[in-house]
Amino acid sequence: MRKALVVLVAMLVLVSTAFTASAATTLEFLEVMTSPERTALLKSMIAEYEALNPDIKINLISPPYEQSEQKATLMLNTNQTLDIIEVRDLSAKQFVNNGKLTDLTEYLEAWTDAEPMTAVANAAARTVDNTPYLIPANIYIKALFVRRDVLREHGIHEIPTTLEELVETAIKITDPSKNQYGFTWRGKSSEIKFSDLFAAPYVEELKDAEFVYTDGEHHFRESGFKEGMELYIKLFKEAVPNDGINWGFNEQINAFVSGTTPFLIQDPDSIPLLDKMLGPDKYEVHPIPVGPYGFNYIDYGFAGLGIPSYSKHKEEAWEFIKWMSTSDKNGYYNQHYGPLPVHTATFENNEHFQGKHYVAYNYEMNHPEIFVPIPYDLSSEKWPGWAKIHETDMQSVLLGRMSLEQALGKWAKYWD
Amino acid sequence: MHGYKRYMLFSILPAFAFLALFIYLPITQGVLISFQGYTLYDMNNVKFIGLDNFKAIITDINFPFIQILFNTAIWVGVSLLMQFVLGFVLALLMRKPFKGRGIYSALVFYPWAMSGFAIGLIWAWLFNGQFGVINDILLRLGLISTPIGFLSNPSYAMISVLVANIWYGVPFFAIMLLAALQSVPAELIEAATIDGAGSTRRLFSIIIPYIKPTIVSTTLLRTMWIMNFPDIIYGMTSGGPANSTNILSTQMINKLLQFYDYGQGSAFGVVIMSLLFAFATFYLKLTSTKESDAA
Amino acid sequence: MRSLLKAGRALLLAGFLIAALGPLYWVIVTSFKGSQEVYTLPIRYWPEGLSLENYKYLFSISSFDVYTKNSLLVSLIAATGALLIAMLSGYAISRFKNEKTKMILLLAMYFTQIIPTYMLMAPLFTSLAKVGLTDKLYAMSLVYIAMMVAFCTIMAKGFFDQIPVALEEAAMIDGCTRIQTLFKVVIPVTLPGLAAIFSFAFINTWNELFLAVMLLSSDRNMTVPVALNSFISKAGVSWSVLSAGIVVSLLPTMIIFAFAQKYIILGLTEGAVKG
Repeated sequence: MRKALVVLVAMLVLVSTAFTASAATTLEFLEVMTSPERTALLKSMIAEYEALNPDIKINLISPPYEQSEQKATLMLNTNQTLDIIEVRDLSAKQFVNNGKLTDLTEYLEAWTDAEPMTAVANAAARTVDNTPYLIPANIYIKALFVRRDVLREHGIHEIPTTLEELVETAIKITDPSKNQYGFTWRGKSSEIKFSDLFAAPYVEELKDAEFVYTDGEHHFRESGFKEGMELYIKLFKEAVPNDGINWGFNEQINAFVSGTTPFLIQDPDSIPLLDKMLGPDKYEVHPIPVGPYGFNYIDYGFAGLGIPSYSKHKEEAWEFIKWMSTSDKNGYYNQHYGPLPVHTATFENNEHFQGKHYVAYNYEMNHPEIFVPIPYDLSSEKWPGWAKIHETDMQSVLLGRMSLEQALGKWAKYWD
Repeated sequence: MHGYKRYMLFSILPAFAFLALFIYLPITQGVLISFQGYTLYDMNNVKFIGLDNFKAIITDINFPFIQILFNTAIWVGVSLLMQFVLGFVLALLMRKPFKGRGIYSALVFYPWAMSGFAIGLIWAWLFNGQFGVINDILLRLGLISTPIGFLSNPSYAMISVLVANIWYGVPFFAIMLLAALQSVPAELIEAATIDGAGSTRRLFSIIIPYIKPTIVSTTLLRTMWIMNFPDIIYGMTSGGPANSTNILSTQMINKLLQFYDYGQGSAFGVVIMSLLFAFATFYLKLTSTKESDAA
Repeated sequence: MRSLLKAGRALLLAGFLIAALGPLYWVIVTSFKGSQEVYTLPIRYWPEGLSLENYKYLFSISSFDVYTKNSLLVSLIAATGALLIAMLSGYAISRFKNEKTKMILLLAMYFTQIIPTYMLMAPLFTSLAKVGLTDKLYAMSLVYIAMMVAFCTIMAKGFFDQIPVALEEAAMIDGCTRIQTLFKVVIPVTLPGLAAIFSFAFINTWNELFLAVMLLSSDRNMTVPVALNSFISKAGVSWSVLSAGIVVSLLPTMIIFAFAQKYIILGLTEGAVKG
């Protein structure tokens, strides 16, 4: 009799633990574009999701932005428990190559009420092997930020629309004795995205290219590219302080906020920052200037959510990703954090993204014939490290240690 | 003696147990990677390639190895010398008690308590060519008429990162040498003073030889730490402009984080380790003395 | 002449203090500035309106108090553990009779210092992950003990080298065992050195960023340098909150410093060293 009682109690305990065990599934979510405000935002959105789904708990892992890619790589490559991973443009290829991301094609096909995404977002999702390995959540494209007040002080009332005009205007404003310069230079870490913006649109064929450049297909030997580069270098010599060679993002914001340089080319996540440090009424956002052939290219940066290939909770992870990827939630997410949302509906319905600071971005996204979306070939084996090589060479050219011809020849050989 | 041997063994066992588990074992794997073609893009194709990584980093046309070696020598040599000299001076100054010495030491030593990346950021900001405090002060004092691009001019960039590193490292020497100075027996110094030795003689003939073991260990240790501490350079210039502040450890980070090339990154690591190991062996042999009976 | 020397000494001491505090002044001032004051030209050396909003924001947007507690725990355990182990091993190496073995042991210690952390990180992570020791604060302490023990041993050996062997021999003749000699005679005399070693072990582990980021994941396990580093994002440095964070994180370390230096500066107590 006692034995039977013991067995019964044991079974009850087992059954109840089984229930409680299956009652809550914990998902591990690693973000990489970490920032204090965004992490707080994500946590509140996760809390909302958990309230709606009491059997799901999501543990957010937020390594600092500077180390996050490293951490993501390390965790994925050692098959650490992860169910949702934020994948950014720079790491997508690497994750796929090492077999760490789930192919989401079937999930997408089954997602019948998915809202349409912008062309750029769709391209972003299929960056690697034309297969959706991630659902994009944030899009970063460049626009021209302007300090209208500084321009007015110098008698400038027209916003430049071509690169040539921009350079002319910047030079006109520059007066080193008054510590006034024309353009917010980017000298290190991803400076390539800025120099290419000036030089590439001088090559007419770029308009139809698949990538800005890739193995065997580049324009470093084109006279047009050289012309564009010369314009860019002229901009540096006559409208930028020499210190610009070492300017990163922080120095750019510093220069723009203090009024030293009234023109800044940057991503939309600068908007909340500038609102805080400068005030939303002190600056305007305009489309980036175009080249001599009436176009410029838009390289779209992105971050999105993916599912590690070895995750044991793929279904639950997918449910969360779907929830985050409605135009409602995605719009909310981006409006507090800055970058562009991914759904066409958000641009039409969300007031925030019709605000004055987003008009230019909307314009750029809606006029692909002028602002041609062309990405970098992030999947090329030559891509990793290329930005660092370009940065060093560019600095050498600006310092007069290397001629532009030498640099162009070097870059051509690299991509041959 | 049986007791002596056993005592020695058990004394060093805990330390080596930790080291074996957490350092010796992992580093063998780390070193192995330097002989493999190991890029993050293709982790499934890791293969043994012998010395190819080393050949690649030595012949790299984008980041000349000779320049990197030269920068490293300057970085380590000047940092070490200035940190030691200034640290020693500070220790000597603080040796005799003065009012408020306690609070003074907490304040003057704090640079060592700052996070590496924060130091890089702060000094980058201080040295900024447009909005930097240093330029501002120099301009206000009338010492210069136009701002200096400290971090954008290759000639000044290395000096700037050195200043930040020296600022950071002085407290290490000051504290260690101060502690060492405190253990110099008072009788020894008294005896020398009675014998008529002036303070300089006392310093160089009595005190410095007495604390020599501490001097040797701190300088050697600091050399290794300076070599392996790229945070300040990375925070201020990322190795630029144009490779002028790129040292072995910053280039190693470049290879790992930007080029995703773990093979070449590890090769740089092995180069660093070999140089430091050779230096350590040489230095220790050079400075080893027989057990002195200082009593 | 004497007063000239005194004045010179005071001047130099002041100079060192200004050089050390200068950058900190800048950080402190920035931490009290509003967001719109951070990037102004001309540079403001005093905030327009002193405000505590950055500090309030620091504690509201991140659990800085939790991180401080974590760092304190990890660093205290690591520093104490490393020091205790190093006292044993440092003393042993210092008194080792065979010169050759002594050199080998010493080099084995120095060897750990020549290793760049980046090279160690991936294999270390992999092994720890296999035994489930990632994302655990106590495991972090263990790793830090390993990272610090070589440095502590080397420094301790150096300090022990300065103690004449005759001192211990006298004690042992008086009937003390080796351990007793170590604790009753040698250590009191080297207390300044040991206090210095402890402070460094504490501070080095307090500021350690890279291993902490890789080996810890959950928010509740984060340490202070990781939290500070997370104020740097794609949208640059949040100077307002970072400067507040730096000031707050310096306080515990300065307290430990102040506490330890009491022992560092402690002169020889009378009777500790007999002729």
